[in-house]
Formats: sequence, C-alpha cells, structure tokens
Amino acid sequence: MSEALLVQEAGAAPLAAPASGARQFWRRLRAQRAATAAAAVVLLLFLAALAAPLLAALAGQDPDTFHPELVDSAAGGVPRGSFGGIGADHWLGVEPQTGRDLFARIVHGARVSLGVAVAATLLQVTIGVVVGLAAALGNRRLDQVLSRITDINVALPLMVIALGLLAVVPPSFPRPVLIALVIGGINWAGTSKIVRAQALALKTLDFVSAARLSGRGRWSIARRELLPSLAAPVITYAALLFPVNITVEAALSFLGVGIKPPTPSWGQMLTEADTWYQSAPTYLLLPAGLLFVTVLSLTVLGEGVRTALDPRAASRLSIGTGREGRTKEQAS
Amino acid sequence: MSQPSVISRRVATTAAVSLALVAGLAACAGPQSNDGGGDGAGSGASGKPQKGGTLTVLNSNPQEDFDPARLYTSGGGNVPSLVFRTLTTRNRENGEAGAQVVPDLATDLGTPSKNATVWTYTLKDGLKYEDGTAITSGDIKYGIERSFAAELSGGAPYLRDWLIGGADYQGPYKDKKGLDSIEVPDDRTIVFHLNKPEGEFPYLATQTQTTPVPKGKDTGTTYEEHPVSSGPYKVVSNENDGERLVLERNPHWSAATDEERKAYPDKIDVRSGLDSAVINQRLSASQGADAAAVTTDTNLGPAELAKVSGDKKLAARVGTGHFGYTNYIAFNPKVKPFDDPKVRQAISYAVDRSSVINAAGGSSLAEPATTYLPNQKSFGYTPYDHFPAGETGNAAKARELLKEAGHPKGLKVTLTHSNDKDFETSPEIATALQAALKKAGITVELKGLESNDYSDTIHSASKEPGFFLAHWGADWPSGGPFLAPIFDGRQIVKDGANFNTAFLDDAAVNKEIDEINKLTDLKAAAARWGALDKKIGEQALTVPLFHPVYKRLFGQDVKNVVISDWTGVLDISQAAVK
Repeated sequence: MSEALLVQEAGAAPLAAPASGARQFWRRLRAQRAATAAAAVVLLLFLAALAAPLLAALAGQDPDTFHPELVDSAAGGVPRGSFGGIGADHWLGVEPQTGRDLFARIVHGARVSLGVAVAATLLQVTIGVVVGLAAALGNRRLDQVLSRITDINVALPLMVIALGLLAVVPPSFPRPVLIALVIGGINWAGTSKIVRAQALALKTLDFVSAARLSGRGRWSIARRELLPSLAAPVITYAALLFPVNITVEAALSFLGVGIKPPTPSWGQMLTEADTWYQSAPTYLLLPAGLLFVTVLSLTVLGEGVRTALDPRAASRLSIGTGREGRTKEQAS
Repeated sequence: MSQPSVISRRVATTAAVSLALVAGLAACAGPQSNDGGGDGAGSGASGKPQKGGTLTVLNSNPQEDFDPARLYTSGGGNVPSLVFRTLTTRNRENGEAGAQVVPDLATDLGTPSKNATVWTYTLKDGLKYEDGTAITSGDIKYGIERSFAAELSGGAPYLRDWLIGGADYQGPYKDKKGLDSIEVPDDRTIVFHLNKPEGEFPYLATQTQTTPVPKGKDTGTTYEEHPVSSGPYKVVSNENDGERLVLERNPHWSAATDEERKAYPDKIDVRSGLDSAVINQRLSASQGADAAAVTTDTNLGPAELAKVSGDKKLAARVGTGHFGYTNYIAFNPKVKPFDDPKVRQAISYAVDRSSVINAAGGSSLAEPATTYLPNQKSFGYTPYDHFPAGETGNAAKARELLKEAGHPKGLKVTLTHSNDKDFETSPEIATALQAALKKAGITVELKGLESNDYSDTIHSASKEPGFFLAHWGADWPSGGPFLAPIFDGRQIVKDGANFNTAFLDDAAVNKEIDEINKLTDLKAAAARWGALDKKIGEQALTVPLFHPVYKRLFGQDVKNVVISDWTGVLDISQAAVK
C-alpha cells in the first residue's frame, strides 16, 4: 500500500505537514510516553467493553442476577464480607441491596458508557464537518443560515435540552441510541465552527486554487483536497469531545434520565452508589475511579493526538522533521 | 430519605397541597422496634424528663401553610399539634395504644345519634387561647367553615364529603351565614349533621380543621403567619413560609385540660430545607444544639442504616416506628392481559418479596405484606396469603397459571414506576420485580415516569396503565380510609384524581362499606374491615409487597421518646431535652 493511500485511509494528513502521513503520526504519538500509556488504557477499556459478556462469563457471573444471600438485609442491604464482598466469586464485590455482581456490571456498564460516547462523538463530528464544509463552500446565503444555526447550537444549554428531550421521548425508544442522538445532536457546533474556519483558510491556498483551476467541482475539491487537510483539527477536537461525552452520559444517568435499569452504565452506577460512600465505599469508588481513569486517559490521548498532528509541537518532539537521529542519540 | 407523606396519594394529585402535613409524621421507636432500634420510651439520654431547654427540629420539608384550615395531617400532625388543639386527637403512647383516638378539646369522643349521622361534642372547661380569651364551640365551627374557602384549601376532603351541604359551601368569606349542618347551641357544645352514617367521625375530628379559630383574629390567607394558639406553644416567628418556625410556651395553655401533650422543652426551633443526608449526618454527630435535635420528616436510608447498624452508640439513638402504609403492585383490569385473573394470580405467585424488601432498604426498613391492609390491629389486620409466593416467589406455580391462561410461552408486560429515589415505587423496586418475574417467564419492560407525571398517570381513569407500582397511606389508623377510596365503586372518578385504580364496582363490597360505616364501635368495625380486605384480596386486584418501617435518629440529649403506631414517628409533644 502506498503511503499516499495510507494517508487517505487514515484521513490523518495534518495541515502543514501533509507529506509524511499516518506512519509519521503514529511515530509522533508513540514518542509521547503519557499518550502511549493512555492509549493502552483506552484500548484495554474498549476491549473489556467489547468482551463484556465473555469476561462476565469467565468470572461465572452476569450483571442482572440478584444474590440476596450476599447482602445483610437487616443492615440496609450492605454487602457481607470485607471490601464490599470482594472474593473469588465476585472479583469486585457485589452491589448493596441487590447482591448483583459488580465486575459483571462494570464491564457491561463500560459498553454503554463507551458505546454512547463513541456514537455521540461520531455524530457530532459528522454533523459538524458537513455543516462546516457546507458553510465554507456554499454561497453567502447558505453560509449565513448555517452559521446562525451553529451559533444557536452553541447557545443551547446541553444538559437542560437533554433533560427535556429524554423526558418526552417514549420509553420504548432504545435508550442508549437516544442518549447518543441527543448528545450528538446538541453538541456539534464546535466541530462545525472549526471546520468552517479551517476550510475558509484552506480555500485560499495554492493547492486548492490549482484544483479549482483544473476544473474540478466544489464537492470533489471538498472531498479530495479539504477533507484530508481538515482531518488533523477534527480528530484532535473529537479526541477532546469524547471524554466530555462520557461525562455527559454519566451526568444524564446520574440525574435519572439516562440508561434504564437494569442495564448498567457507569453514571447510573454512580447514582445508585452516592449514598453508600460511607458504608460500602468500594461500590462508589469503582465506577467513579473508572470514569476518572477513562476520562483522564482519553484527555491525555487527545492531547497526544493533537501534539502528533501539530507540526510545531511535533518539531519539539523532533520526530518526522528529519531530526529523529538526534532523538535516538539523546536517548542512548 | 424523606418519609413519604401520609396523604401523598391525594397531595400528589391535588398538587396545590404542600407536604406540610408531613408534620403529621415524626419518627421513632415503637414497642416493635427490633435489634438495632431504640427501645421506645425512655431511650436516649437517661434520667427523668424535665422541663426546659430548646428542642431543635431538623427537617427537609418546610412547615408550609401553617394554618389549621390548610394543613393535611394524620391525627393533627406533629409540629402543628403543638400549636393547634383539636376536638379529638391521637393517643400519645408507644405502639398499638398510640393508634387510638382520644378526646382533646372535647370531653369525650363524641356522642353519635342512633345511625351515626349526628355527632355531638362538649368542650372541656377552662380552655384558653394564647391571649387568655376563652375557646368556644363557635370558634371550632368557624375554623371548620374557613377550610371550605377556596383560598384556604389543602385539607382532607372528608368534611366536604360528609357534612350536609358541604359539597356546595364556599366558606365564611363568601357565605356569611355559615354551614347549617354545624350547630352550636351554646358556647361549649357543637353538633355535626352528616349526610350518611360515619362511625369513624371521631378519627376525622383529629384533623387540624377542627382547631378553634377566633373570628376576630382571622386574617384570611395571612393567618398562617401568626395563627392563634390553643396548644402548649405559640408561634414566635415564621420565616419563608415555614422554613424556620420558632415556637415558645403559651402561658395560657393549661396541662390540666390536656392529657396528651407533655410539652417539656421551653422552646421549639424548627429548621427546614435541609438535605436529608445533612439531617442524618447532624443527628448522628449530635454536637452542640443538635444534641437536643430530632427530625419529623427524615428517615434513615439503607446506606445510612448500614452505617448506623455498625455503631452501637448510634444504634441506641434510632427510633423505630410503624405507620399504616402499604406498597403494592396495582393492576388495571381494563388493560389486557390483566383482565384475566389468572395472569394477575400468576404475577402474585411470582413476586420475590425478599428481593423487593432488599430493594426497599432491607428487613429493618420494610416488612413483607400479603394483605392490603397494614399489619396493625387498629386497621383490623386479618392475615391472609391467597397466592402464597413464599419468601422468594413460586415461579413454577406462576408458569402453570400462565399456561392455563393461554400464555404457555410466557408474557411480555410493561411495569410503570416512578423515577423518584424513594425506595417505594422507584426503579430499584421495579428492577427487583423484573428479575423475579423473569424466572416465571414474564418479561418485564420498565417504564419510569417523573414524579408528577407518574401520579397523574396512575390516577387518571383514561391514562392508567395496566401494571404499576403504587402505595397507600392512611389518613387515620382504620380500615375505612384505606379500603373505601380504593375499592368503593362509587368513588371511581372519571375525570379527576381516581384512586379506585382497579375500577372495582362490586355491589357486595359497596354494601359492606356502607354497613361498616354505620358502626360506632371502632373495634367491631376494624374486624369487619379486616374481613372485607381478605375477601377483596381473592380477586388479586393488587399484589401487596411490603409495609415500610421508619427508622429515625434523634440527638443524644433527647428523652422520653414516644412513637405511636398512628404516626410511626417520634412525637415531639412528648420529647424532653433536659
């Protein structure tokens, strides 16, 4: 596969360093130790989420079975045993009051939390790119209309609208899909603004003019010339949106309009756990800690992606700028 | 968590009514208190209760609308009962004895006519307001009439339903002539004329609407800022509609005329608007003024109970009480497949009460229920278990019934519940039922509604779902206000708040309700209510799940803790802080 093809596939050609492509991006990313560690954590979490039923089966548990014998009913349903009932059967202990296995709920919860965030981010990016590009390339009228819509979108209070929307949609509509649609549908303005501004700037550059002079159509130019160049800022922005979307899902579930029981999500688990911080601390610490680690990892990774795609930052890393040799020397 | 209000059913639907009535419920240790609970009277600090000191009340809900016409209380309320005396009141004793009605302003429980449609009361001698003027029967008549004014709404509907002419009366501001069905032949006598026999009138007379209000001092809607006290305390200040209420001794109250209220503290300081977690935290720390503090509306939640159970000293400061209350599954037989008794029976067999009780906070906070009536003598509790599910459910029997009903492959149904975090009709309970019914081949889809939407939906004849979580609390500890609104066919409300959610209109049931209402012997009536409950239970129109148990902390200086089965909560008229 030629390098040019790779670039197109990964869609990762940065604005001012279009030549060296995806391989260079990976090298720059790998050079950042924190970002590499964060990427490993994120990968692990995604794998755990994908393999949730498998992992739960491995532990011999499922997320929905009640184990009343594992909680002390007379004491409010606090898990029996130390550290919230952690043991060979229940690796992370059990949920107070119900005795449901926490390991199974945590990994199944990861599916919802991460899945919703992925879907919402993809939606935000797609809407943002389409609207931003259309505004930049369309006539003035279209630009004005789309820009106003974007402004309005910026002004929308995400949580308030989400609370309202989630409360009116009939409960038969699949909840995770709905939450992804709501978060994605409300919070795309940032992407669209970035895309529009970048596309307007790129439009005046020589390679775009050349393409135009060669007689290519507007949308062909958008696809072939602008999109690859927009990849860097968009991916960077998406990497920062993603952890935000995780916390929004958690917040919505925490406020009781998110995922419906018995489906677990980390935010929903946090809601249930908030009163238990003194009597069963592990119950609260697990989802809280996982959310923290996930969001932190994703933020660090996002920052790493940004650095890897930013030529100025990359030059500080001394990678992909023809000065790698020196880095190696320094390292040795 | 906050205690569910007694009258939550009506309050919820007539949204205007504030939860001030929660005043009716305070919490503490009754004789039934089990391990971990306080041991009733005398628990807390040792030594004989003495007069003096300040009792602090830490509450979630403010004492809104502190006007006797507007309060919706059970037995006269807890804080309101310190200021407002009523014709009759609840017995201030621990446990079962506390579920009795006793005279307050009146000399006795009233003299009924032969068919219990006319009730006559005589006032005690020497009754005085806080300004030293005498309390007259005319003031009680006026107080009741005020409660009919639209601007002073909020009380229970019984007076309007029972008094002749009550349905059309608009209150004394619009209709100066007053209500003819309340007669005051002299200053110490008052006579009520009812449109049908009501043997339980003495229970109704405990509500704050029978508090005397001197006509000359009535300021209408602003009366609540300084209502004229007939009780041991008077209002010194009332900030932000009951958010902070300070009460001090009423020098003209005489203990000689009041056998019920002990009134040990010199001052009562009610501070509301606090988060329930904060209240429980402050009561468990019990520092400074909080050592002499109680709460009249905040229970220990499951997590807090778990913490308290591990601490012997704290556990000794927990009062345990029982209030007549049932949490249950309700069916709407107009909705398929719940029109089929076999389906309703199958669900009755399939429920796992132990997991439901765990979801409600565990065996210390809930007791299994197989009867619709609360498990207390005053309600006429008659044990039955028509569809025995055992502790954890009888899935095999449920499957068998479903097969007979033509659902050999199981069923798919929707269970409606509220999204409140109250451990009553909340997602936790619904999820526990979902898991249990799954074992019987019943797939349950959960439908959670927001608080107001939930109560509107389940009490609307047209929108009522087929299968939902519900609860019912008593206005007074008797079978009447528990069974009649739910199962009397003449109380089905087509447009408005309907509580007969099963739309039961059974001539035999209606007739028996009428017959029991004629009884003035409350014990005999209780037995009949119990028998009626057992009979109605055969139809599987509800699946009783559990009766809640109230656990509440009190400060370390609080003495003379009395918790009756009427309210299930610590009675502040008995508490001492010295």
